[in-house]
Amino acid sequence: MGFIGSLIVGWVIFPMVLYSKQAQPMNFDHALHMDPERVFGIDGDTETERCLFCHAFRDDGTFAGIPKLENCTQCHDDPDMPLGESEEEQAFLNEYVADEKEIPWLSYYRQPDCVYFSHIAHVNMGQMECGVCHGDHGQSEILPPYEENRLTGYSRMIWGKRISGFKENTWDRMKMDDCAECHTEKGQEQNNACFVCHK
Amino acid sequence: MKLDRRNFIKLMVGGAVGLQVTPLPWKITDDIAIWTQNWPWVPVPAEGAYDHEASVCSLCPGGCGIEVRKVDERAVKVEGREDYPINPGGLCPLGMGSLQLLYNEDIRFTGPMKRVGPRGAGVFQNISWDEALEILSGRVNVLRRDSRPEAVAAIDGNPVESTASLLIQRLMQTIGSPNYLRVPSFEDTDRMVNLLMQGVDGPVAYDLENADFILSFGCGLLEGWGAPGRILGLWGKWHDRENKRKPTVVQVESRASNTASKADQWVAAAPGTEAALALGIAHVIIKDGLYDREFIEQKTFGFHPWNAADWKEHQGFQGLVLSEYSPRKVQDITGVPAERIVSLARSFAKAKAPIAIWGKGKGDLNGSLYESMCVHSLNALVGNINKPGGVLVLDRLPLKQLPETPLDPIAEAGLKKTPVGAAAGEDSPFAANLLTRFNEALSAGGPSPVELLMVFGANPAFTMPDGGSMRRALKAVPFIVSFSPFRDETAFMADLVLPDHMAFEKWSEIIQPRGVQYPLYGLGKPVVKPLYQTQDAGETILKLARRLDKAAPEAFPWKTFEDIMAYRAEGLFEAGAGLVRYKPAQPPWSWKPFAEPAAGFKSSKDMWQKIKASGLWYQPLDHQRAAMTTFKTPSGQFEFYSTRLEMKLKDLNKAPSSDLVCMPHYAPSSPPSDSSRYPLAMVPYDMVNLVSSWLPNPPFLNKTLLPEQLLKDASYAEIHPDTAKAYGLKQDDLVQVESVAGEVRVRVCLFEGAMPGVVYLPFGLGHTAYDEFSRNKGVNPNDIIAAGADPLSGLPVWWKTPVQLNKV
Amino acid sequence: MVIDLDKCTGCGTCMVACSAENNVSVRPDESDPQRRLTWMRLYKVTNGKPFPETEVSYFPRPCMQCDHHTPCVSVCPATATEMDYETGIVSQIYTRCIGCRYCMAACPYHARVFNWWDGYFPKSKGMTRYLSPEVSPRMRGVVEKCTFCHHRLMRARTKAYAEDRRELEEGEYITACTEACPAQAITFGDLNNPDHQVANLIKSPYAFRLLEKLGTEPKVYYLSSKDWVRKLGDNFLPGQFEPVTKVKMG
Repeated sequence: MGFIGSLIVGWVIFPMVLYSKQAQPMNFDHALHMDPERVFGIDGDTETERCLFCHAFRDDGTFAGIPKLENCTQCHDDPDMPLGESEEEQAFLNEYVADEKEIPWLSYYRQPDCVYFSHIAHVNMGQMECGVCHGDHGQSEILPPYEENRLTGYSRMIWGKRISGFKENTWDRMKMDDCAECHTEKGQEQNNACFVCHK
Repeated sequence: MKLDRRNFIKLMVGGAVGLQVTPLPWKITDDIAIWTQNWPWVPVPAEGAYDHEASVCSLCPGGCGIEVRKVDERAVKVEGREDYPINPGGLCPLGMGSLQLLYNEDIRFTGPMKRVGPRGAGVFQNISWDEALEILSGRVNVLRRDSRPEAVAAIDGNPVESTASLLIQRLMQTIGSPNYLRVPSFEDTDRMVNLLMQGVDGPVAYDLENADFILSFGCGLLEGWGAPGRILGLWGKWHDRENKRKPTVVQVESRASNTASKADQWVAAAPGTEAALALGIAHVIIKDGLYDREFIEQKTFGFHPWNAADWKEHQGFQGLVLSEYSPRKVQDITGVPAERIVSLARSFAKAKAPIAIWGKGKGDLNGSLYESMCVHSLNALVGNINKPGGVLVLDRLPLKQLPETPLDPIAEAGLKKTPVGAAAGEDSPFAANLLTRFNEALSAGGPSPVELLMVFGANPAFTMPDGGSMRRALKAVPFIVSFSPFRDETAFMADLVLPDHMAFEKWSEIIQPRGVQYPLYGLGKPVVKPLYQTQDAGETILKLARRLDKAAPEAFPWKTFEDIMAYRAEGLFEAGAGLVRYKPAQPPWSWKPFAEPAAGFKSSKDMWQKIKASGLWYQPLDHQRAAMTTFKTPSGQFEFYSTRLEMKLKDLNKAPSSDLVCMPHYAPSSPPSDSSRYPLAMVPYDMVNLVSSWLPNPPFLNKTLLPEQLLKDASYAEIHPDTAKAYGLKQDDLVQVESVAGEVRVRVCLFEGAMPGVVYLPFGLGHTAYDEFSRNKGVNPNDIIAAGADPLSGLPVWWKTPVQLNKV
Repeated sequence: MVIDLDKCTGCGTCMVACSAENNVSVRPDESDPQRRLTWMRLYKVTNGKPFPETEVSYFPRPCMQCDHHTPCVSVCPATATEMDYETGIVSQIYTRCIGCRYCMAACPYHARVFNWWDGYFPKSKGMTRYLSPEVSPRMRGVVEKCTFCHHRLMRARTKAYAEDRRELEEGEYITACTEACPAQAITFGDLNNPDHQVANLIKSPYAFRLLEKLGTEPKVYYLSSKDWVRKLGDNFLPGQFEPVTKVKMG
């Protein structure tokens, strides 16, 4: 009885209590925006190249992260001329483009402040696909709600969606050991030195 | 199921076992560990795009090139620029820590304010700009209507010839008050030396880059003298292991300062006797015939004896020096052994490009005029004027003059009134307005002749070496308006505050950095948007002028402050040549023909845009040769005997009492009335890692202070162990340093490098304003400096004060 | 790193630049060396001679990044610090540090400092606005130290990667103190690369290291032409110190 009770507490109630859920300010259809047929100028042979169309590197190699509004308005430039037919887009144009207001996106993949991560080292030098860490986020049509750990303040994606912490795919978890594991697998042990990832 | 003991235990055990096979304990352990690493009050700096903004630092008259590192709109660090001729990539500690002045709300005014608390308490209330300007213009208008414009006074700490400074002068003219006062600085002394001996009313320029023997009379070369970025950079270059032309540096100073220690030779002359030492060296050079005969014969006046038009016999510099300043006599005055003087003089005169430089400490405070003249006569003796490695006679920057200020009858009448505390005469013939005398007049008691005092870019309540008489004067003034961006000591006394932007929020000029030998105009740009409701003081003046009755509008035809800067810079365009890009491979101080053609500018507007982008306009020395040929004294020669001064005194009906008045000479500073009461001398010193100017200290600089400089809130006086012994003092003992002007309490630091009989106190500590980083830390030597007046210049004598030590 | 003490003017810019670069906290009272946080510290020394032959000189002291038996690393019970064999830099991981201060006791150079308080960046003052995102601000209870501005190495690498390079040129990565020194007294580079200026400078007879006899192989060298300054760099038995008598130029 107690055993079953604690199982329910541990596996069901605990994760519900631990994570807070928050909807993104608006939906974003990654799949649609990755479609060369629908987005003008987004070509490139690999998915990574198409990701970089919006999630770009700056000249100094730093990663711009979630695109700023000015990135969106390169296409969605006129608030009165929606490019598609979705209500989401119209709301976006009315609320953000018209007022030139940045969209307060919630980042699923933000690492804590003590972590240094160089996207360019992995993408340019390591020739890694975005999906290795970010899974099929690029093909999603709906942004899932952002879940934040109430204790640590980290996004749930750091520990991984699965509360058990087991991982099947490379993108299931983003903790220090996962970085180190991959470095070791790829023969990059020297990059397991503390300062390579800590600041 | 009944909850009996047995079941309860089963439940508990089952629960405990069950929990182990859920992620809960493991996850929660991990999360708690992470939770302890992320306290919400430890800041997480925001990420963003990294950017650099090239600009020029305007926090001191040195004007280094800076590059401000930004993350999105935030400035996160100030770094040195390599494409700027002053500093080869490095910076001074103040520049490095300056963002702490920008981003510390507690030391800044966030908008216009009026005083609500008692004076000096620093309690203010926010008001609107409109209300603030209305209060100020209303008061000025009332005084002008009463035909008493002279009751308005202004204290100006902006750099000489800066547009801000000219605008303040113009405002005062428009109002009609002669009471425009400048905070004394070394530029005042320099300009006077230049005017008397070389006839040029301009800055003094030292070609240190090409000198091979540098004889420094107390200059704090490593303490922030001149343009610190340039001097410190040069120091590095001189000591480069590959440099085969390392110059000899000799420091004359009574204390083993950084400069004295790091110099090749340290000559410890008693404080205040440097003039005698210079003339002792001159004696040896003349006696040994080591002087530049050609230069002396052809280009100087007053060296040999001569008969004036009225048949009056004049002894001449040679005669004076030979009769009065033998090494033996000078040894008695200065304490420097005669042999040392002889060898120093010989090595100086035999060097290829020797240069003697003056200006004590950082040069923020004035120097002694006669002493500076004595030192400069050494340059004339070795003929190293307008030659590589010497002192260059440089014209002022060819900036366009502002048009004449139109005056209404009230202003015309007001300007003819005698300035407060003015005294023209033999004791200060070239300076009518002296801040020290102004203070004396105001603090004398009785109704204040000044009813409205405006303070611009200055904190005289802290920086004036006058034993606190500035503070007493401020108390006497009924209404004070501060334009300071900072909550400084003077602003605390203000009734109305119209805060200026901080340097990083506005355009600011560097007009000929101190001591630099080629024409240079620097322009600092706003690198961040103004953080608060502050306003550029120039704009405030323009807005104020528009609210004044009559007269004003046509005196200020410009729309914005930047328009006036651009207007003046048209002069640079009209002067022809000039470059706006600097390449380290082609330094402007090279005497070799300058390969780079002068940049072509389409128009003055085009040039202004380019200056705004690069922050720089300069002319290489090579393009200057034609300008530096003649002396503009009445005799057309370098004058050992200033005929201009003689004429000026005659105009004032005060014929010089003796030849000495017009010549470089040594006069001991007058002893205090009771010399047995004050047997020791207090000598204040500058430190490069402490701000002694009107600006606050970035808290980072507190880290650089040694434990024997500041302990908790107590600062230290450096005293020689023998002197300390005579007073029964040990390291860290508390002691009172007392002078005629007051006393301060400090701790004792025993220092072998201190001259016996002298007490050394650093400038820059002892603030009573700002925030907890600076307030009540240490003491301000200015509080006990019993400032006499320097002969001829009338500026305060701050470098030596008779004191007494009282053990606490 | 090579620090030329003949060039060093003791101005303290290196300390300020270091603090500004690395988000080092400043407290209202900075006068207690036991409590004050400084990664780079300036030590004043005097030659001990009587007036007027007294001379002062300065030792700027960053972390020595000891190469051999790195004392702090060998004692850390939490593995919060390690010497990276690729870069030679001794790291310090604040989130791992348990604040026992054993490393501080072990460090012969007093190069490590302890956060007795959380970083002092009062929100009311708005002083968080100048904080750099490249270095994580510290909390109370952890030790911090000079990192040779490791984030600048990462910055330089990132830039190189953007240009599809793996190797850095000399001068692409320098520490904040090196860059800031107005007298250019500090030279920074790879001691193992014979083409780098530092590798050449340390061959000078004037080159020495602090407490060299401890055998920790510091990666910070000093240059001074003054015997008394060099003598202060270590503890010598009588007669053990050898003044430099012959210097080859160039």
